[in-house]
Amino acid sequence: MKPYLLGILFFLVFLILSVTNGAVDIPFSEIVTIILSTLGEGDQFTQASAPSIAIINQIRLPHTILIALTGAALAGSGASFQGLFRNPLADPYLIGVASGAGLGAVSAMTLRWPEDLLGYYLIPTGAFLGALLTIWIVYRLARVGRIVPLTTLILAGVAIGSFASALTSLMMFRADNQIYRALSFLLGGSTLSGWNPVLVALSYLIPGLILLSLLGHKLNILQFGEDQAKSMGLDVERAKTTVLITATLTTAVAVAFSGVIGFIGLIVPHIIRITWGPDYRHLIPLSILYGAGALLIADLLSRVLLAPQSIPVGIITALAGTPFFLWILRRAKSEVFW
Amino acid sequence: MIKKSSLAVFLFALLLSACSAIDVAEPILVVPENEILEPTSVEAVDPVSTEVLQLEFVDDLGHTITLNGYAQAIVALGPSSLESLFAIGAGEQIVGREEYSAYPEEAIDIASVGDLFSAFPLENIVALEPDLVIAPQIIAQENVEALLELGVTVFWMENPVDFAGLFDQLSLLAQLTGHQEEAELLVESLAARVSAVEDIVAYVEETPSVLYELDATDPINPWTVGPGTFIDTLIYMAGGTNAASVLSSDYAQISSEAVIEVNPQVILLADAPYGITPESVSARAGWQVISAVENDRVHAFDPLIVSVPGPRMVLGLETMAALLHPESFE
Repeated sequence: MKPYLLGILFFLVFLILSVTNGAVDIPFSEIVTIILSTLGEGDQFTQASAPSIAIINQIRLPHTILIALTGAALAGSGASFQGLFRNPLADPYLIGVASGAGLGAVSAMTLRWPEDLLGYYLIPTGAFLGALLTIWIVYRLARVGRIVPLTTLILAGVAIGSFASALTSLMMFRADNQIYRALSFLLGGSTLSGWNPVLVALSYLIPGLILLSLLGHKLNILQFGEDQAKSMGLDVERAKTTVLITATLTTAVAVAFSGVIGFIGLIVPHIIRITWGPDYRHLIPLSILYGAGALLIADLLSRVLLAPQSIPVGIITALAGTPFFLWILRRAKSEVFW
Repeated sequence: MIKKSSLAVFLFALLLSACSAIDVAEPILVVPENEILEPTSVEAVDPVSTEVLQLEFVDDLGHTITLNGYAQAIVALGPSSLESLFAIGAGEQIVGREEYSAYPEEAIDIASVGDLFSAFPLENIVALEPDLVIAPQIIAQENVEALLELGVTVFWMENPVDFAGLFDQLSLLAQLTGHQEEAELLVESLAARVSAVEDIVAYVEETPSVLYELDATDPINPWTVGPGTFIDTLIYMAGGTNAASVLSSDYAQISSEAVIEVNPQVILLADAPYGITPESVSARAGWQVISAVENDRVHAFDPLIVSVPGPRMVLGLETMAALLHPESFE
């Protein structure tokens, strides 16, 4: 119970810090009154100015929730991928999701601007479709009959991912007007704001994350090796495919809305594993919980370090994640469980 | 003293701009019926007063924006809009600028909302409580929509690619801010300078081929401007031809081979602020045979007077024309 309680506390602390801090200084008491009056469906309780209300209700709250969901999704699928591939270097982008999503997003930016049929959902849709297409190609390349050999999957993922990245670079190179947008996406940043993207992301991510958490038991069995797992009664191919599809879709949704943010999916599960052990039934839910908090920290830093400028979140996670992980690794006194 | 020919050219230019293909805005001046009009003429109305006018414009994204009176709290999200607003005298009405827009010098005092490389600075813009946000072409549509949803008035403008478009934009900004007179004078003087250059250029003998070098981090394949850009237009107006007219993008790298084949007679180094000198250009393999290098016509060029589509473009035109035809300009 303790890790969960601590995780919830960690999450709540940074949720509050994230909403109360930003490039613009709004006093804490004012924020409380704004939120209360929104919940009470009236402006009676707050004397805050209209911009402050707009900033809290329409910018910070939905942004914070989207970031928390993204962190949860990335860490949850990262943990699942590490279990699936039985490889400590696995992260959600291993089989090409990020490259595919990047290609889809940049294609959407360069080919359809400014006639958008889907309005500003064009980019997330493009990213999502790009990710799906890439994964489908990788999966088909790697599959042999009913079996998906994991090494082949990784190799195919690396190859297709590189190809997608190259195409993305080519498109960015040719479409000079979109360079800011493309860079922003690839470094981790959402061009969407407001509550609509949050609600869409929620509807995909909540079922995805719940399903991933329930797959913990099967992943535990898979850790013994595929042959051993089969002899223990697990339908190995079915389990692998379920984990693969769920984790991939979750990652694709996260990337579609928040751009390519690295390190959360790799490092958070490792920290959980070193601290509380490798039981996937707990590792995945805890990764989800702490992943949300971790990305909230990174996002907070990205917004306040150089205010009024903001640093792309992907840069913060890369800069901060690695030294922190090395510190945790040093501290681990007992064996490290893969 | 205004020469008759210049006046004629200027009037013609005005007529041209009125019929310009770039129909940037259709201003509708609507005066509410129950307001009591001042008996004096419109010019006498203090541009800061906001009781009388209701303004309606359509921006380049097709959105209709309405303003109650002239904009007094503007956020300019790009250097061209910032520069243009100051040029027409609306500097006092600006409350926010983009981080890297820093011309003219007085603009530094205006609050920065951040840069455009990372997450769009929604919060900063909203916190300034602007009554108008001027968004140049580089601002993505989603960000415009996000601002609109938050109740902010946003005017998105495409970058002008010629002087007619530039003058249209200056007039438009004037109508948004109540500086029509100043803008008229500004456009007049700018147009006069442009036609003065055109007059001289009409009589020059040679039309040198020009390579405008933007960036030489890869000296074998320097970046340059392609057809359709404002800089390309300037080169032709200054009495030259663009050596990179074979390119299909607005901005692209051109190979040394292509440069040597085209053999430009003038090379303008817009990357001079980054340390590229005529000596370093002549040191590049194979470039010694280029006419510009042989005849010492490789010149440093301040990119800021042509890269921002604002009033300084006219200075850019004049500078370029003087470099291309030194015998005709002093």
